Amino acid sequence: MSNLAQTFGALRSSQKFQKRFSVAVRLVIAVFLIAFSIFPVLWIVSASFDPSQSLATQTSLIPRNASLQNYQRLFGKDPNYKFGDLVFQKWIRNSVKVSGISTILSLTITTMAAYAFSRMRFKGRVAMLKGILLIQVFPNLLALVAIYVLIFQFGEIIPALGLNTHAGLIMVYLGGSMGMNIWLMKGFLDTIPRDIDESGMVDGASHFQIFWHLILPLLRPILVVIGILSFIGTYGDFILARILLNDVNQYTLMVGLQIFTAGQFDQKWGVFAAGALIGALPIMIIYLLLQDQIVGGLTQGAVKG
Amino acid sequence: MASVTFRNVYKRFGDVIAVNNLNLEVGDKEFLVLVGPSGCGKTTALRCLAGLEEVSEGEILIGDRVVNDVPPKDRDIAMVFQSYALYPHLSVYDNMAFGLKLRKVPKEEIRRRVNEAADILGIRDLLDRKPRQLSGGQRQRVAVGRAIVREPKVFLFDEPLSNLDAKLRVAMRAEISKLHQRLQTTFIYVTHDQTEAMTMATRIAVINKGILQQLDTPQNLYDKPNNLFVAGFIGSPAMNFFPGKLRRQDGKLLVDTGDFALTIPPSHVQTYEAHAGKDIIFGIRPENVHDVDFIPPNIVAERVSVKVDVTELMGNEIFLYLVSGRNTFVARVDPRSKLRIGQQAQVAFDMDNFHIFDAATEQAIR
Repeated sequence: MSNLAQTFGALRSSQKFQKRFSVAVRLVIAVFLIAFSIFPVLWIVSASFDPSQSLATQTSLIPRNASLQNYQRLFGKDPNYKFGDLVFQKWIRNSVKVSGISTILSLTITTMAAYAFSRMRFKGRVAMLKGILLIQVFPNLLALVAIYVLIFQFGEIIPALGLNTHAGLIMVYLGGSMGMNIWLMKGFLDTIPRDIDESGMVDGASHFQIFWHLILPLLRPILVVIGILSFIGTYGDFILARILLNDVNQYTLMVGLQIFTAGQFDQKWGVFAAGALIGALPIMIIYLLLQDQIVGGLTQGAVKG
Repeated sequence: MASVTFRNVYKRFGDVIAVNNLNLEVGDKEFLVLVGPSGCGKTTALRCLAGLEEVSEGEILIGDRVVNDVPPKDRDIAMVFQSYALYPHLSVYDNMAFGLKLRKVPKEEIRRRVNEAADILGIRDLLDRKPRQLSGGQRQRVAVGRAIVREPKVFLFDEPLSNLDAKLRVAMRAEISKLHQRLQTTFIYVTHDQTEAMTMATRIAVINKGILQQLDTPQNLYDKPNNLFVAGFIGSPAMNFFPGKLRRQDGKLLVDTGDFALTIPPSHVQTYEAHAGKDIIFGIRPENVHDVDFIPPNIVAERVSVKVDVTELMGNEIFLYLVSGRNTFVARVDPRSKLRIGQQAQVAFDMDNFHIFDAATEQAIR
């Protein structure tokens, strides 16, 4: 009997050991991956507190003579330091404005288009869907010159949408981001049973009422996801903003920050790092606010589940 | 409260004809069940009536108004879907109130109607819950409640019980019947389950391949099926069919199946005489095939030799699966029957209760 018990005990303990071992291995890998991805961020944090303004001389993660000097300079609070009339706060405001507006507009257009693609049957529906996907294959970058010329000529006719205007930039962003999002949204809409629409129809709702009262509330998870992705995408864009905006006051954050690194013998890496960190704040705040909203399964219970 | 009329209604999807020249009159306060195998067009017919599909041809009337071009919301109907189609983000109360709110019914009136419907269905204490917090049966009730509060002229049910388990289905069947009694409104109910049809309907429309086969009361449908399809579809276990010939011999009229011959009793001869010599299909329901030891008194019995293939003991009765030559068929016999698997035996056909169909047209010969 004891023999049997021992064997069994040994087996059990070895299973326990195996379990623990595998957890340990996973932990090591996880820690390594986290360190790998967090290191650049740590470096930027470190650089932002390093007054030496040079990446080359920065030898340790915890800078010598750590100070808030870079932050003071960034906001123009250092009397011994001038970098012209650069307006960091304004850039952040511009960025938030451009990203915010284009996100809201993009969500509106995307949702309505996806609803039509998902629920209505019309000629050319499939061709249009495929077309949207196909266009999406080419990166915006390829069309850079064309976009520049387009917006330039647009501005000749409607100055409010021309070069160096936020409206023009937003318009370009809208065109760029829509395709993928329409597909994403349509995919989600297709999972919402049509019975809900039909039930609404019999209940007396118009197409718009069905969309607004019955379908839209169910789209919240995907709206949040697409909204965040689209906001981050436009907030972090450099190329389009760089070529379409040419007045320092109109710059978005990404374009503005680049100035700090542009001077040939005058790079201000410390100030750049401080600006980058502060610039990341809006996105972090949005993430934290909305993380609870990203819940799926809201359609559960609509049909038998 | 209103009658419903289908007048020469066709519905085509491309080359497929889902509803083929449907003519149907549903009286006021009637409980009409559309029944048929899946894909027979019964749901399509209902959706045409609801306005969710456009008819390709013909007219649909609610009351005496042609509703072909009337949108669903103005047809004054309510529909219960197979999937319930509750609005997942709204509470039970709001689900039921939704249609009324759209119609700008005063708040107090909405409250009164929702509470009343909730009382009828016994879901008063669920009003604050979300659909996902409800069981299947409760969701079903909410779906029905949503229809009730609208106080429509016509209720449409699209296989409302098929997602429920067997026990609940029986219970809800009785409740829907009671509801019909109580509301005194026209009910049109689609199902593929002939038991549901038989138990609830005042009249049943049997549909197959888009064509209306027979429209009659449940009892008539069972006793006098018009054709082979109706005979086979209504009743469980289904009617037994034996292909054969009508033959005259020695002054008697016989049904000759090739394996056995049955004499048609004199009282029925006149009906079938004209068809002597023709190919026919002989039909008899399982309950009219008896164990020879338990033949009810006063019936004209014809004995047939069989081999017992399978027995199914149900408690109050026994189903015997029998083989006679090329024919296999079912008998529903007295529970005291001693017949066992593998036995050679004799069974008695009740020759007062049988059906004969023309083999070519599949129509009943009467």
